[in-house]
Amino acid sequence: MRTDGKVLGVHVGRPALRDPAWLRSILIGLALGFLALFVVLPLVTVFAQALRHGLIAYFDALAEPDAVSAIHLTLLVAGIAVPINLVFGVTAAWAISKFEFTGKSLLITLIDLPFSVSPVISGMVYVLLFGLHGWFGPWLREHDLQVVFALPGLVLATMFVTFPFVARELIPLMQEQGIEEEEAAVSLGASGWQIFWRVTLPNIRWGLLYGTLLCNARAMGEFGAVSVVSGHIRGLTNTMPLHVEILYNEYNFVGAFAVASLLALLALVTLVAKSMVEWKWGDSLGHSRY
Amino acid sequence: MTIRISGICKRFGSFVALDRVDLEVRAGELLALLGPSGSGKTTLLRILGGLERPDQGSLTFFGEAALSLTPRDRQVGFVFQHYSLFRHMTVFDNVAFGLDVQSRKDRRSRLAITEKVRELLRMVQLEPLADRYPSQLSGGQRQLVSLARALAIEPRVLLLDEPFGALDAKVRKELRRWLRRLHDDMHITSVFVTHDQEEALELADRVVVMNRGRIEQVGVPSQVYNDPASPFVYDFLGNVNRFDCTIDAGVARIVGVDQAFPAVGMAAGPAVAFFRPHDIELTRLEAPAKGTAVSAELLRAQVRHVYAIGPTARVELDLAGHMVEVVMDQDRLRGLGVDGGDWCGIKLGRGRLFRAGMVAAMADPR
Repeated sequence: MRTDGKVLGVHVGRPALRDPAWLRSILIGLALGFLALFVVLPLVTVFAQALRHGLIAYFDALAEPDAVSAIHLTLLVAGIAVPINLVFGVTAAWAISKFEFTGKSLLITLIDLPFSVSPVISGMVYVLLFGLHGWFGPWLREHDLQVVFALPGLVLATMFVTFPFVARELIPLMQEQGIEEEEAAVSLGASGWQIFWRVTLPNIRWGLLYGTLLCNARAMGEFGAVSVVSGHIRGLTNTMPLHVEILYNEYNFVGAFAVASLLALLALVTLVAKSMVEWKWGDSLGHSRY
Repeated sequence: MTIRISGICKRFGSFVALDRVDLEVRAGELLALLGPSGSGKTTLLRILGGLERPDQGSLTFFGEAALSLTPRDRQVGFVFQHYSLFRHMTVFDNVAFGLDVQSRKDRRSRLAITEKVRELLRMVQLEPLADRYPSQLSGGQRQLVSLARALAIEPRVLLLDEPFGALDAKVRKELRRWLRRLHDDMHITSVFVTHDQEEALELADRVVVMNRGRIEQVGVPSQVYNDPASPFVYDFLGNVNRFDCTIDAGVARIVGVDQAFPAVGMAAGPAVAFFRPHDIELTRLEAPAKGTAVSAELLRAQVRHVYAIGPTARVELDLAGHMVEVVMDQDRLRGLGVDGGDWCGIKLGRGRLFRAGMVAAMADPR
């Protein structure tokens, strides 16, 4: 992904592959125009709407108890789901790229499943499994456990939707790196644990960070799956995206866009963090791909 | 005896990589495993290093059964073809790795490790580059780091998998000499894999020629070169002229050529004769005559090309449809004064005859 730009740069520099100036300007103009219309404009609108009645109204909307609880809940859900997916993603990528076993392609397909399934359906699945009339519903009720319409359901739905991110980022990277360095480490007497911490993990750290950032962004922003299992109990089971919807439906535009602006900010921070990583550690990223 | 390999078999799916291989590696020797790709040489080396498990057979290191030992317990240093350096570590950390990961009771102090790494880097003359990353080194330098890294754990056996295979010819030659010197200084039992016959013959104390998962011949370089045990070894070690023959009543004839060679005790039927290019003698013939035989020993052939670059000259001739290659001194060629189109008399010197059964197997598409 990071090398693409470089490869492209090389080709553009070659006279034989250089397109006429008018074609270049049209293509670049089209791409920029498209971005402006579909990405920049909405983003600007979010902040414009949120700040329509001034900064005080903006911060009041954010300090409102239901908004605060939604922010808390979102952080909590992401705080649980992301680390779990990080461990799962590393484990799955390790297994897929370093070992040969039957069912490997099935595992790869399964990891992709959340990307191909509508999030609403994944939410519904958890209601069907853990809801009052679901498969495990009676048992859960007997033991006084609540999954759906509570924190566990939110975490489960979020995990399901976001679990491909880390694994998808790591699998190609680890496959490209191969097992040569691990073999060298084995021959030098390192144990499995030492190999993981000293050889494998350092080689994938930037991919891992990137995957985790993406995973986190999606975990905080997830709407569909969470919407089904949440039950929309104000101040209790509403995450930020759900809270935005409720406020919007109540015509509280400033409040809705204020919370939405936080989510948009998260996206921007993620992007900036990613660029920082690439800019600051570009050298060692290069090393990890010699 | 350092390493004893007996009856080792290894399959990958339906591909037989090693087929009942027996071999002994002597203490302090530099042994070459030589063969074409797919001959099983790398698999054998990886089994020695504990990176691969054989399906059958046994392996002892210094009298101790080794198959159940981990690479750590075998105390082998492994040098990989593509260096396999840790890309996120500096040269120094790469070399220190084997010492850093030793269990607490065996591990040296930080100071001792630093001292040892410095010493190894001095040995490979890379001390000034200790803080570089592998991506900032040339191929030859990387391989030297890889060697230093393998030597850091003070291995009982050094295993090298095509150590110079990825390097250009000049660096290759330098490193080859360097490795020979290192071996002469340290006398560490070493096994290296190569597909380059020149490298094996120049560097090794003994050469193991492998083909299709089996050992064809084991011997000192002059032995396998001068006295090949099979057509394969003949073909694989250096340039060779190969003629299809027929054997009949104890006499062999090259197809289409009126000359007989004694083939005492060999069964009648098709066979193959091999002659090295420097074992064929060339004389000038003034007038072209008919037939291939000039005399009982001299055959008539026409010069196709003369390649006269460097100290030795190469002449390609056509002998009744067979392509013949002859190598001689530049001076000798000048004395002969032959050029393309001229007719020459060739005298086949020392050669070797093999019954065709084995050769036919060798020529099978792999």
